[in-house]
Amino acid sequence: MNAYRWVVRGVYGFFGTLILAVVVFKVFQPVQVLPRVRLGPGFILVDQNGEPLTNEDLRGKVVLYSFFYTRCPDDCYGIVPTLQYVQAQAPAIMGDIPFRIVLISLDPEYDTPERLRAYAERVGAQPGLWLLATQPDPQRLRMLIGSGFNMYYEPQDDGSVRFAPRYVLIDGWGIVRGEYKYETLASTEERIVRHLGVLAEEIRNSQGSAKLAYEAAHFFLCYAP
Amino acid sequence: MSSTAKRGLWMGVGALLLVVLGWWGWQRFRPYAFHGTVLQSAEPAPDFTLMSADGPVSLSDFRGKIVLLYFGYTFCPDVCPTTLFEVQRTMELLGEDADEVQLIMISVDPLRDTPERLKEYVQYFHPSFIGVTGSDEEIAQVATQYGIYYQKHEGTPATGYLVDHTATITVIDREGYVKLIFPYGTPAEDMAADLEYLIKH
Repeated sequence: MNAYRWVVRGVYGFFGTLILAVVVFKVFQPVQVLPRVRLGPGFILVDQNGEPLTNEDLRGKVVLYSFFYTRCPDDCYGIVPTLQYVQAQAPAIMGDIPFRIVLISLDPEYDTPERLRAYAERVGAQPGLWLLATQPDPQRLRMLIGSGFNMYYEPQDDGSVRFAPRYVLIDGWGIVRGEYKYETLASTEERIVRHLGVLAEEIRNSQGSAKLAYEAAHFFLCYAP
Repeated sequence: MSSTAKRGLWMGVGALLLVVLGWWGWQRFRPYAFHGTVLQSAEPAPDFTLMSADGPVSLSDFRGKIVLLYFGYTFCPDVCPTTLFEVQRTMELLGEDADEVQLIMISVDPLRDTPERLKEYVQYFHPSFIGVTGSDEEIAQVATQYGIYYQKHEGTPATGYLVDHTATITVIDREGYVKLIFPYGTPAEDMAADLEYLIKH
């Protein structure tokens, strides 16, 4: 009878520990992952040095994409300060994980590589980190921005382009991990930097046994911190 | 047997039971770890309609099946045949469940790949495989949406021009959402295991 009680205790103990573990996991959320939202687009662009830039060139790198045009007034709807902030924070967060900022111009007729290069210098873009690029064929650009990045823009008669600021975070697999369209309680720049940190953590831990934790986390926890 | 020995025996049995139960529970309830990279798409995979030798083919025609999308071309010297051969082996490993899986190869060389040529090419690997092509614009649109880079470049006079292209396989689940990506070189065993899981769940 005594032994039977021990078995019962053991069973209780086992399930008790299991439930406790789940609760602890839920409360402390030891593993945070960004959802893998969808496939990032495929493209061929021309960068500020007149060199081709494709999505395959960026494979294995974490890339923050945004959109602009060089004749965009002032700080271009806050895009420039946001990216400058990310540039300043990136080294500490990313460490030796390859990271790029790709700024795609929505005004391919006016924005030649020379003008993109001049713009990069004006905003203090760190060479090697920033890539300013565009697709010289306006129809292909429309396809990329519209079908690839699901973003709407409209060139105006006066040479300006109407669009809403947008940032897209894509991982080394070419998968979209974050999209930033409008201001929330936390500012866009803070959210981007925080998400970069989560992604960097995931990449650092993706070798060895932690890989399973990250893979498994996708199944029952799918939230952006 | 003394009562202490009895108690010890019972405890041993209990502990063993727990270990077995725990191991079974772990095996039974642990999340399946996919070999491919898993996506949690919030929106369905972009639909398309392209031309096969047997008429137009849309992605949405295959709701209820698991679709493997592969971008390639019939003049492809090594990467495409290797990949298609691996998918052929995957189909063999799946046995009867292979009926639940449909491979569609989308040409990145619409200039040279006619629907007839594509059909002959893909059916060499498996009778169920479908090859589709379209206009430059249509292909560019689908490739852009599925993250596929492709570009022509010079070959030798013997091969003609070659087309560089992203060589991943995109897996679309029964409901039409992008579910997995298999990088180039994923063994048939791994693909079959992942697809088997998708078929059974």
